[in-house]
Amino acid sequence: MTKSPKWAMIIDTTKCVGCFACVAACHNQNDLELTEHFNRVEEQEFGTFPNFSRRFVPMQCQHCDNPPCVGVCPTGASYKRTDGVVAIDAQRCIGCKYCILSCPYNARTINRAHGYVHKCSFCISLVESGSMPACVSTCPTGVRIFGDINDPGSEVAKLAHSKKTSRIGKDLNTMPSIYYIIE
Amino acid sequence: MSFDKKITRRAFIKTAAGGTLAAGLAAGTVSCGVNNEKRAASPTEAAADIKKIPTQCQGCGANRCGIYAYVKNGRLWKVEGNPRTYNNAGTVCPRGHAYIKELYNPDRIKQPLKRTPEGKYEPISWEKAIEEISTKLNLIIMDNSPQSVFWIQYPMANIPLAFRFMHALGSPNTITHGATCFTARNAAFNATIGGLPDNDLKNSRYIICVGRNPAAGVKLQQIKDIAEAKRQGARLIVLDPRHSETAAIADEWLAVRPASDLAFLLAMLNVIIEEGLYDHQFIDDHTIGFDRLRDEIATYPPEWAEKLCDIPKEAIYRVAREFASYKPRALIHRGYHGGYGAGYLNSFQTARTVAILNAVIGNYERVGGLFLPLKPTLGELEKGGHPAPNIPEVEKADGAGVPGRYPAASYSDGIAHAVPELALAGKLKAGFVYHMNPVRTNPNPERVIAGYRKLELLVTIDCVMSETAALSHYVLPESFFLERDDHVDTVHSGKVAELTVVQQVVKPMYDTKPLLDIITGLSKGLGIGKYFNFTMDELNALRLKPFGVTLEELKKEGVIEVGTRWEEGFKACKTPSGKVEFYSEQLSQWGLDPMPRWQAPLVSPDPNDKHSFRLLHGKQAIHTHSMTANNPFLMQLSIRYDMIRLWINRRRAEAINLKDGDTVLVESDIGKGLVRVRLTEGLHPSAVWMPSGYGIFSKYLTTAYGKGINYNDFLNTLFDPAVGHVMSNEIIVKVAKA
Repeated sequence: MTKSPKWAMIIDTTKCVGCFACVAACHNQNDLELTEHFNRVEEQEFGTFPNFSRRFVPMQCQHCDNPPCVGVCPTGASYKRTDGVVAIDAQRCIGCKYCILSCPYNARTINRAHGYVHKCSFCISLVESGSMPACVSTCPTGVRIFGDINDPGSEVAKLAHSKKTSRIGKDLNTMPSIYYIIE
Repeated sequence: MSFDKKITRRAFIKTAAGGTLAAGLAAGTVSCGVNNEKRAASPTEAAADIKKIPTQCQGCGANRCGIYAYVKNGRLWKVEGNPRTYNNAGTVCPRGHAYIKELYNPDRIKQPLKRTPEGKYEPISWEKAIEEISTKLNLIIMDNSPQSVFWIQYPMANIPLAFRFMHALGSPNTITHGATCFTARNAAFNATIGGLPDNDLKNSRYIICVGRNPAAGVKLQQIKDIAEAKRQGARLIVLDPRHSETAAIADEWLAVRPASDLAFLLAMLNVIIEEGLYDHQFIDDHTIGFDRLRDEIATYPPEWAEKLCDIPKEAIYRVAREFASYKPRALIHRGYHGGYGAGYLNSFQTARTVAILNAVIGNYERVGGLFLPLKPTLGELEKGGHPAPNIPEVEKADGAGVPGRYPAASYSDGIAHAVPELALAGKLKAGFVYHMNPVRTNPNPERVIAGYRKLELLVTIDCVMSETAALSHYVLPESFFLERDDHVDTVHSGKVAELTVVQQVVKPMYDTKPLLDIITGLSKGLGIGKYFNFTMDELNALRLKPFGVTLEELKKEGVIEVGTRWEEGFKACKTPSGKVEFYSEQLSQWGLDPMPRWQAPLVSPDPNDKHSFRLLHGKQAIHTHSMTANNPFLMQLSIRYDMIRLWINRRRAEAINLKDGDTVLVESDIGKGLVRVRLTEGLHPSAVWMPSGYGIFSKYLTTAYGKGINYNDFLNTLFDPAVGHVMSNEIIVKVAKA
């Protein structure tokens, strides 16, 4: 019997040019307010002139298998789905922001108009209708690869289990579902 | 197990803090409380009525990518790339996503406006505005000549309307932004191969970008193809004074001294020719002037170049040899604005050398090289019983393409920044500005304002009150691109020939009109109504006639491929000789160098003054010209990521006691301004670099107003003697802590 899907993402920073298309696409897709963001792009500099390089690192909810945000939620609004997505039941969220503080990736934000916490959902409604998350499909250089890590034939599974990738904050034991290619 | 744990935790919270929390919830007063009424109406949760309509993006004007616009519950929601479009292939850049929000920008112009003597703007009806403009324009044409009228706009798909309108009036003065952007490059490729090629980046094995940064001057297909080529093992070399966003994914960044790319390229050519690494067969069959080129180029060895360009001779030898070793599947990107589009006195020579380097390795019309893009020939209005006006047989007022003035300039682009000079000289009296903002995007704003103010009639057609609109006698609001039907377009074509179209996605929100309606209205009052007796649908149907495609089909699909695909194989050049011209008789006749030669920059920073720098500029991926700074989302990104800063080399900055984030006073001989600095190791020490999308000073643009400064504030009004381009990097500034 084939396992049910567990969604995961590869982010290949060696391809990222820091254009913010993913940030803008996410903003529209999720109807975010002006200053809200589910994802961001961090920039790093290395070396001295002229032996210099930069790296852009897209960041968002890591959909941890051991998510601190779920553990601290007083109402059970934050939960881990069987498909790997860390989700928030807006009806149960009391807007206490404990999860925002607990997230080591700074990936959660509070919707000021509605009062509940929200964040990246891997665009699960798009995924369930057969499309890719908005940040994946808009990327011109193919930084993000999205798929089912339970499918051993998928690119995501192959890369996630290879030495090419690593997860951010290993010592935190959060077990993210996002795997980064750094070099 | 974890469920039990959760219950326990919840129980604990209830016991410990339940009282206050519950009370707060009931009253809805605590700061962390949820507004349940609003939550029920949350757009992400409500069942939505969603429509998906294909159209064309206008978030930059150059790319016009194929997109799907989504309307949710009657409101524009998001866009996605049309996967069948050759030039964006299913993706959308940040501007494309964000620009749709301009539909709802409160700063939009909501009805036609007329300037009062006090400089304020009051509403005027369309009928009255058209009548007054026509009357004034008729008088100006009678008192002067039709040639005293100009029209300026970006070269969008609808530019034939402007040509038709101006030609019907009897004026040749249609102008684009080209001279401030890319005309040096175009002139050089025209002189060398008789056209502007595209790059087959995807199949190239060795790619050199000279100042070109497709990751920020976004061209989605180019950056996508570079990523794909790299995946297949291609090497990417970026020659740029700044570590560009393209350099971030390059194999090698060559930090060239600004204005000396030409020295590097001449030395590359020297190595390839001296060492016999060129494509002998291609040169024998398809080029002229190679022997003369060989003699000329002998004087430019890497030993000579390294002192000028700051790239060690070893690197020049290596890059030249590597480039040639991959022939013909290697290319130097044909470039755009950065590097040699319109930046320097030597930009024309630089672009000529780029064109020639591609030719000596025989990559023209080869897989992985440069090729002339396919361009489907659209049907014309004339074929449908709408005769075209004659092209006026007079020279353009700006001297574009006129021997003795700017012979190498592009006739169809004209020289944008000559308009203020011509207005001050009394040669231009009236003008139309369509979706362009020369007051902000041309050099020397004081001079531009003086020139445009001198006009007896200035009409701006736009969606927002740009700096130029805010000087105009009349401002006519065009419907936003998502609110209107517009021209069938072929811009997406490259290796395939494609058609796209702009179509209405939502109904106009305000009292606005599409361009064709505005021009048709004007034409009646100007006695040229017979040239504008068709609808947009009729015009588009005629454009589509040669392809057997109906407008309905195109509107349904958004993009349709027509005709044959590009095939490898040299095609005769549209040069006088029909060949690639290393030596150009035409250039010689115009009194210009017939072969590329080293030419020093017009100005250089003072090496003995630690405050003296060359001012460079460039794009950030989130902004287009001056048109997106007022987009609340994009401006918010600029601020959030602290992008409105002047880049400065760390060592140079520290020598004048600057720390990251300090505010500096930047001063040139014509302007000054305050800006914060970004200290970086990623910039040549001789230059500072300013992002180009800021410095909006129209008070009507409430989001962008007063944020950042613009390189044009520091740039004098200059004209390259051959091409007339703006030479926008020939600026020396002094930078000091404010």
